[in-house]
Amino acid sequence: MTTDDYFGHMFQEFPENSEWDAVIIGAGPNGLMAAAYLAKAGLKVALIERRYEIGGGLATEEILYPCYSSNPHVIYHMMVDYMPVIKDFNLDGASLLWIKPNAQTAMVFEDGKSLLLTQMIEDTKDSISKFSFKDAVNFGKVMRSWRRIVDEIVAPATYVPTMTPIEMSMALQKTKVGQEMLELIEQSPLEIINHTFENDRVRALMLYASCMWGLDPRETGIGFFVPLLLDRGMNKCYCYGGSHKFASAMGRELVKAGGLILEHAEVNKIIVQNGRAAGVELAEGRTLRSKVVMSTLDPHTTFLDLVGAQHLDKDFKALIDGWKYDKWSFYTLHVASEEPPRYKCDDPWVNDAFMTIFGIESTEQLLAHWDNVVAGKIGANFGGHATCETLHDPHLSDKPGKHTSFFQMHAPYEIPGGWEKKGKEMEEAILAKWQKVAPNMKRENIIMTVHETPVDIETRFPNMRRGGIKHGDYKPIQLGSFRPNQECSSTRTPVEGLYVCGASTYPGGLVLGGPGYLGANKVAEDLGVKKWWKTTPEMERYIKTYLT
Amino acid sequence: MKKRELVGQPHPQCFFSEFPAESDWDAVVIGAGPNGLITAAYLARAGLKVAIVERRYEIGGGLATEEILYPGFYSNMHAIYHLMVDFMPAIKDFDMERHGLVWIKPNLQTAMVFEDGGSLLLTRMIEDTMDSFHKYSDKDAVAFGKLMRNWRRIVSEILAPATYIPAMAPIDLTVAMQRTEIGREMLELVEQSPLEIVNKNFENDRIRAFLLYISCMWGLDPRETGIGFYVPLLIDRGMNKCYLHGGSHKLAGALSREIVRAGGTILESSDVIKINRHNGSVTGVELMEGRTLNSDVVISSLDPHTTFFDLMDKKKLPTDLKESVERWKYDKWSFNTLHVVSKEAPHYACGDPWVDESFMTIFGFESTKQLLAHWDNVVAGKLDKNSLGGHATCESFLDSHLVRKPGNHISFFQIHAPYNLEGGWDKRGPEIKEAMLAKWEKAAPNMKRENIVMSTQETPKDIEIRFPNMRRGSIKHGDYTPIQMGCFRPNEACSNHNTPIKGLYLCGASTYPGGLVLGGPGYLAANRVAEDLGVKKWWKPTKEMEHYIKTYLT
Amino acid sequence: MNKEERYDIVIIGAGHNGTTTAAYLAKCGLSVCMLEERPECGGAQETCEPIAGVRIQPHAIANYGGSAPGWEQLELWKYGFRMDWKAGAIVPFDTDRYMTTSDGLSQVTDKDKMGYAKITGLLTDPPFFKDLMRATFWCPPHPPHVELNEHTIPFMQVYKQHQPDMWTRELLEWTMFDLMDEYLDTEPFKVNQAWIALVSGAHGHMEGAAIPALCSVATVMPPAVAMPVAPRGNIHGYYHALLRCAIAHGAVVRTCCPVEEIIIEHDRAVGVRLRDDATWGAKKIWANKAVISAVHIKPTFLEMIGPRHLDSGFLQRIKDLSLKGGSLYMTHYLTRERLRVRPKFQTPGYRYENYGSFTGPFFPNDSRELYFENVTEVMGHQRNLTIPPERAMYGMVAGETYAECHPQSTRPGVYINGPQWMLVPTPEYNVDGMDAMEDKVKWNEYMRKALSQVVENLDSDNIVQIIGESPREQEFRNTGMLGGSWYGLRCDRDQWWNERPLPELARYRVPGIDGLYLSHQSSAHPGGLCLMAVGYNLMHILIEDGIAEPGDWWYASPWYIPEKGKKSAIPSRPSSVATR
Repeated sequence: MTTDDYFGHMFQEFPENSEWDAVIIGAGPNGLMAAAYLAKAGLKVALIERRYEIGGGLATEEILYPCYSSNPHVIYHMMVDYMPVIKDFNLDGASLLWIKPNAQTAMVFEDGKSLLLTQMIEDTKDSISKFSFKDAVNFGKVMRSWRRIVDEIVAPATYVPTMTPIEMSMALQKTKVGQEMLELIEQSPLEIINHTFENDRVRALMLYASCMWGLDPRETGIGFFVPLLLDRGMNKCYCYGGSHKFASAMGRELVKAGGLILEHAEVNKIIVQNGRAAGVELAEGRTLRSKVVMSTLDPHTTFLDLVGAQHLDKDFKALIDGWKYDKWSFYTLHVASEEPPRYKCDDPWVNDAFMTIFGIESTEQLLAHWDNVVAGKIGANFGGHATCETLHDPHLSDKPGKHTSFFQMHAPYEIPGGWEKKGKEMEEAILAKWQKVAPNMKRENIIMTVHETPVDIETRFPNMRRGGIKHGDYKPIQLGSFRPNQECSSTRTPVEGLYVCGASTYPGGLVLGGPGYLGANKVAEDLGVKKWWKTTPEMERYIKTYLT
Repeated sequence: MKKRELVGQPHPQCFFSEFPAESDWDAVVIGAGPNGLITAAYLARAGLKVAIVERRYEIGGGLATEEILYPGFYSNMHAIYHLMVDFMPAIKDFDMERHGLVWIKPNLQTAMVFEDGGSLLLTRMIEDTMDSFHKYSDKDAVAFGKLMRNWRRIVSEILAPATYIPAMAPIDLTVAMQRTEIGREMLELVEQSPLEIVNKNFENDRIRAFLLYISCMWGLDPRETGIGFYVPLLIDRGMNKCYLHGGSHKLAGALSREIVRAGGTILESSDVIKINRHNGSVTGVELMEGRTLNSDVVISSLDPHTTFFDLMDKKKLPTDLKESVERWKYDKWSFNTLHVVSKEAPHYACGDPWVDESFMTIFGFESTKQLLAHWDNVVAGKLDKNSLGGHATCESFLDSHLVRKPGNHISFFQIHAPYNLEGGWDKRGPEIKEAMLAKWEKAAPNMKRENIVMSTQETPKDIEIRFPNMRRGSIKHGDYTPIQMGCFRPNEACSNHNTPIKGLYLCGASTYPGGLVLGGPGYLAANRVAEDLGVKKWWKPTKEMEHYIKTYLT
Repeated sequence: MNKEERYDIVIIGAGHNGTTTAAYLAKCGLSVCMLEERPECGGAQETCEPIAGVRIQPHAIANYGGSAPGWEQLELWKYGFRMDWKAGAIVPFDTDRYMTTSDGLSQVTDKDKMGYAKITGLLTDPPFFKDLMRATFWCPPHPPHVELNEHTIPFMQVYKQHQPDMWTRELLEWTMFDLMDEYLDTEPFKVNQAWIALVSGAHGHMEGAAIPALCSVATVMPPAVAMPVAPRGNIHGYYHALLRCAIAHGAVVRTCCPVEEIIIEHDRAVGVRLRDDATWGAKKIWANKAVISAVHIKPTFLEMIGPRHLDSGFLQRIKDLSLKGGSLYMTHYLTRERLRVRPKFQTPGYRYENYGSFTGPFFPNDSRELYFENVTEVMGHQRNLTIPPERAMYGMVAGETYAECHPQSTRPGVYINGPQWMLVPTPEYNVDGMDAMEDKVKWNEYMRKALSQVVENLDSDNIVQIIGESPREQEFRNTGMLGGSWYGLRCDRDQWWNERPLPELARYRVPGIDGLYLSHQSSAHPGGLCLMAVGYNLMHILIEDGIAEPGDWWYASPWYIPEKGKKSAIPSRPSSVATR
C-alpha cells in the first residue's frame, strides 16, 4: 500500500523499471569518463552513484564546515598532459583550468635546509646541487632518458590495452628507450635511487616522490614507476576551483549527450540472467535493465557483493579472494588558518611549492616509517606531505584572506587502540612537527582542524576498502595484465556483458583516466558502436613503434 | 691623439659591411651640439647630403641629460634653463611638438633666499614678482612693473628677433634703432653697465642683488658698459625660462631625427683631427679612426682655437684671422656644479612657501656687495668658502623621469667658479664641495648628510674634459665683452658665419649671436650656406623677425 | 594638449629588440611608433659617462650579432655603423692562446683548437660557421605541427649537412660539457667556454643546451670573430645605427613615455595607454595593425594586460618563468696607471709598455668542480657569495681591449678598466633578501680582490674610484632587465627555442589576443645578446599574418617552416640580397 493509492500521482518520478544500453556503477572519474564517451557515442547510458554527489575521489567539499572547502581526496593531477579525455572533451581552458606551478614538491629538513622538485629540470638541479653537484648532474642526465621513457612509452601505454609481460618485453626490445626501461623494471625503487644518487637527503626526496602512492621501495619488477612518478611528480596540476570541477565537467558532458545520472542510488545487485549481466537493482527497489553493466568498484564489491559467488566459477572466485588492498592508506589533517604555513628554510620558493614534505630526515627514517605503517604502527619518526590549497585557489576559503591546508601521511588501516583514539593524538603530533618547520603553524594561527583517518576514507567511499585509494595494491602480480586479474584486465569479465573499469583494473588508480577510457573502448567495440574519438598523437607514436 | 691606420680590415669571419673609409657629402658639420644639429637639420631638409660628426659617444653637446649620478639618476648637467623657446625659429620650423617635446614654463621662475628667512621671487607673471618686491620696497615694486612694460617690448620687438638675423656693425645698429622710441631706449641702456642700470632703477639692496645676479649670471661683467641691453633681455628671459620635460637632451634627439629622416648621417665617436684643404678651399674632414669625409662645405661649431689652429695648419691662415683667434678671450668664469641625489627635495627655510617650488633658487648672497666680491674673487681665480653663493634647482621636482629609483630626488647647486682655481681643483675640489653642502644646508636645513644618497661634483676642468671645445670651461665658447659681441663675434671676418677660407663656415656659440642655446648661430649659418650654395630655403622668418626687419632694416 | 595618435604599429620599449623590430617594420613602409620609458633609447645597449671623460658600458659590451641577416637587410653601415678592428688584435686561428688558472697559464692545445673549429664549423670549406649561427639564433621556432627532432631542428640540419659525423640525436640531449668532453682537450679551455656561455645566457651545464650554449660563445669568441668585438661608439654606437635606420624609414620615437596598459577591445590589442607622467600629452596611442611588446614579459602580462584578460593558470606560468642565473655584479675601475698582469699570468707576447697587452682575464678556469662550486653558490644556495674571492669566477674587459683611436677614458692621467662581471644571485630569489647586495663597498672590494688574483697593481694607491653596479640597481635603471637578469629569462631547455617563453607564445603571437606580438629577449627566441634576431624572427610571423609586406631586400631563414594555413614568409621572387 503506497501513498499513491490514496492520492494518486502528484508528479512523475523516475520509473521503477527502465531500459538502457549501458549502466555504469560508480560516478568516480573512471565511471564518468566511460559514461561520457559511450553516451556521446549514441548509447543510452545511466550512471549510478551511491553518494549524494558524483565525483568519487574528485571531491571538493566543505569539510572544514563552515566556510572552508578542501579537496579531501584527489588534488594532485598527474596525467593532465596525456589523458585523452582532456583533449577529447576539450577540458583544458574552456571548461577547466589547470594550474601547474613550477615549484612542485619541496622537502624541508629540521636544520632549515631544503630540496625542491620543480617542473623545470634546471631549477631542480640547482636545488640538488646544494647537497651534491654529482647528484644534480646525474638528475639532469637520468631525467633526459626518463622523460623519454615516460613520454614515449609509459604515458601513452596507460591508455592502450595491456600486454602480457612477455609481449611487453619483446615490444620494448625494439628501441633503446625501451631497453632502458626494461632494465629499470628489474630493479626496485630503492636500488634505482641509491644507484643514481649519492646524497641521502636527495635519495629520501626521490624515494618519497616515487613510492608515496603505495609502492614497496624494496620490491623489484615495478621499477618503471620511478621515472613515471618522478616525471609526473614534476608535472602535477591543480584543478582550479577544486578537483570536483573535473567531475562536474564530465557530468555535464554526459548529460549533454543524453546520459542519465542517478545519485543516492546504491546498487543492491547486478542482475545476472543465464550467465549474462542484464542490469542492476537499486536499494530503493528500482531496476535498470541494460545490455551492458560496467562497474568501477573494487573486485570484492563487484563480484562477491553485487554479482554473487553463485555466478562465478571457483578459480575466478579464488582470484577475487586473493585480491590485496593497498599496503597503506592515508591519515590527513585539514587545517583552516589565518596565515599560510611559512616554512623556515633556505629557499624562498618552498613557500610557493605545491607539495611540501617534512618530518623525513633520512632514507633510513623514511623506510622505517613505511615499515611501521605496513606493520600497522605509527612511530614518532613519521613524516608526510602538506599542501596549502588556498595558495593556488583562493576560492576554497569563503572568508577572505584565510587559508586551508592539509598534512597527509601514510597510515595503516588498522591501528592499535583504533583510530577513534589515535586520530586525536596524531593531530597534536602533526601540529608539533609542522610547527618545527613552519613556526607560524601554532594554535593562535589555526582557526579549525578536522582529520580524516583511513577508516573515514572507507566510510566516505566504501569501495576504497580499508582506505585503499587505488582499490588495490600496486605489486607485480596486481599490475598490468594482472590487474585485477588476467580474466578482467581487458575490462571484460567472465560474466558476459559485465565490464570492470575502476582503479582496480589496468592501468590502475590515481585519476589516470585509463580504466574508464579503456572500458569505454572495449564496450564500444563489443557493441559495434562507432568511436567518435581518435587516439592521441603520443599513443599513435607508441602503437606505431611498439605494437605494429 | 695621433691618427692611426684605418682600423678597417675586418676579420675573415666578418659578415657585415661598415661605413666606408671615404665618402662624399654636400656639407659636413663638425660638432653635434644644438647649433651643429640645427644647421645640419635645416640643410638636410633643404636637400643637401649632410653628415654631422660628433666627438662624443652621444650627440647634443650642452643639451645633455645623462646618468652622471650613476646608477639610476639622470641630470641635465649642462643646459637646463631654455631662455629662447618663445622665439627660436627651429622650434616652429621643425614643429617640435610633433616630436613630443613639451616645455614647462613654471610661474615660479627664480627665488632668492636670505639667511634671515627673507626671500624674493621672480615670476613669469609680473604682478607676482611685484608682490614679492613689496616686502622690501613699494617703490621698487612699482618701478619693476613700469620698467618691464618697456623692457618686454625691447626684448620681443628688437633683441629676440635680432638674435636670428645677421649681425650689424655698431654704427648701422645705432642708426636703425633711432627709428623707434623703444629703439632709442635700448640704445640708452646699451651705454650703461648692468650695475648702473640696476642701481639706478632700484633702491633696495636685496632687490638689486637679486636682479644683478639674474642679469649677470651667464657671464657679464656687472661694471662693464656697452652691454646694458643684456639686462632687459636676461631679466625678461629669466622670467620665461622653460624646462624641457624629459630632459634637455630631447631637443637634441628631435633635431637628430629631423636630420636622419631628411637623409642626413650622424657619426658619433668621430674625432675630427683635420679639416682638409686644397689650394685655399676646404675639401673635407679626416677622422681619428682614419675615415675621410669629402665635402666642399665644412661647418664648424667648435671654438675658434680648435677650428683654426688645431684642425688646420695655423701657418697657412691669413694673418689678421690668425691674430684675431689668438686674441680670442674665453669666458671670464666657468661653473662648479654639485649634483646630489637626496631622499627629500630641498626645503628652504623661508617665509614664502612658493620658494620650494621655484625653478631656480639663489642663495648664499646677502648683499650686492657680497655678490660683487664673490664675482671679483672668481675673476681673480679665487673662491672664498664663506662668501660663495649660487643657484640651485631640484630637477626631479619638474621631471619624474630623471629618477629611476622611486622616492628619490635629484638636484644641483651651481656656483660661478674660476677655471684656474688658486690651489688647483684636484686639491681643493673636495673642500669646495663641503663648503657648498654646508651653504646649501644653511639655506635648506633638510639638505643634511642623512638626506643625501649620493653626490658628484663637476668642476670647470670636468666641463672641459667632457666638452673639450668649452675651453677653460667656457660654456659660451668665449667671453661676452663688447669686442667679442655682435659683428665682432668671433671677429669681423667670421661673424657672418662664413670665413676667409673658402667653404669653411662657423656655427658655434663663439659666433654671433653667441651661446646659451639661443639656436642663433646654427640658424644663421644654415641661412648663409643655403644662400652661398644657391639652395632654396624651405623655411620662412618668424613673424617677430619679419616685424623687426620691416621696422629697422628696410 | 596633444591629440591622440594612431599608427599601424605601436612598439612598447625602445631597447635593442624593439628598435630592430621598428627598423624592419618601418622599412616595410608601415607607420611605426616606438615608446620608451627612459630618457634615452637603447635599453641594454648603452654607454654612459658618469665621470667627465670616462665612459663605461653598464650592460652589453660586445657585438654578438656578427652573423645577423640584419646587417644586409637593414644596411646599418648607411647609418654610420662601424667596428673597431683593433689593428693587430685580430686573433688568427693559429696563434697561441692561454687560459688563466690559479696555478698560472694553461695553453690551449691544438686538439682544443681543432675540436673547437670543428664543432663551430670552421674546418669545412667553405666554413659553415655562419649557417650554424643563423640556424641557432636567426630562425623562428617551428609551428606546433612540426615534430622537433634531429631532422627538423635547424642547427641539427646544419650539422647533418656539413658535419655528418657530429650529427647524433644525443647532441640534442647533451650539456655543453658533454659536447666539449667529446671534442676538446684541456679542462681550463672547456671551463672557460662553459663560463662564457654561462654569462652569455645559455649555461654550459644545462641539459640539452649544448649547441645553443656553444654558439652563444662562438659568436663572440676568437677564432670566430676578431677581438675586440666592440663597435665604434661601443655597443651604443651599434644601437645608434639601428635606431637611425628605423627613423630614416619614418619610425616615430617617444622617450619618457612609459606604458601603463595595453588596451584590449574584443580580444584584440588596439593600442596603449601611457602612464600619467608621460611627456606626451595624449595618453592614448592607437595601433591599426599591431601592438608589439618589446618590454619584459612579466610586466607585459602581469601589469600591462593583467587578470582582467588572462586566466590564473596562465598568469601562474608567467610568474614561474625563471629569471635565475642571469644576474651579474659589475665593476669598473678608474686607475692612475694601467693594470699590470702578475708575472705568472703573463703570456709570452705580453709587454706592459705596449698598449693593448692587457685585454682582461677570465679567471679562474681551473676545473669544472670550481665552475660548479660557483654555480651552486648562486643558483643552488641562492645567497650572497660566500666562496672566497680567490675562487670566485669572473670575466673582465680591460680598457686596452679597445682600439687606441677609441679611448674609453679621455680624462687626463686616468684609465678606465671594465666591466668586470660576476654571476650573483637574482635579487628576487636571494635568500638574503632583495637588497642583499646593496652593500656596494663590500662587494666592490670583493670584486677587487678577485681581480687582484691576476692583476698586481689594483691597490688603493692606483685606484681612483670603483664604479659598481648591483643587479638590483640594474633592474631599477633598466626595467627590461628584471632581476638584473641579462637575458630576461634563463635559456634552459624549458625556456628556449619552441618553449621560449612558453610553448604557446613561442611564435611571438599571443593566443586569444589578436594584434599583440612579443619582441623582447625575455619573451622570444633566441633571447638576448643584441643579435637583431628577435626582430628578424618576428618578421616571419608578421608576414604570415599579413601585417608586414617587405620589399625584395627581405629573405627568410632557410630553415623556417611556414605555419599551416598561413601566408609563407619566403618571398615569391628570389631576394636581391645574397644570403651568403
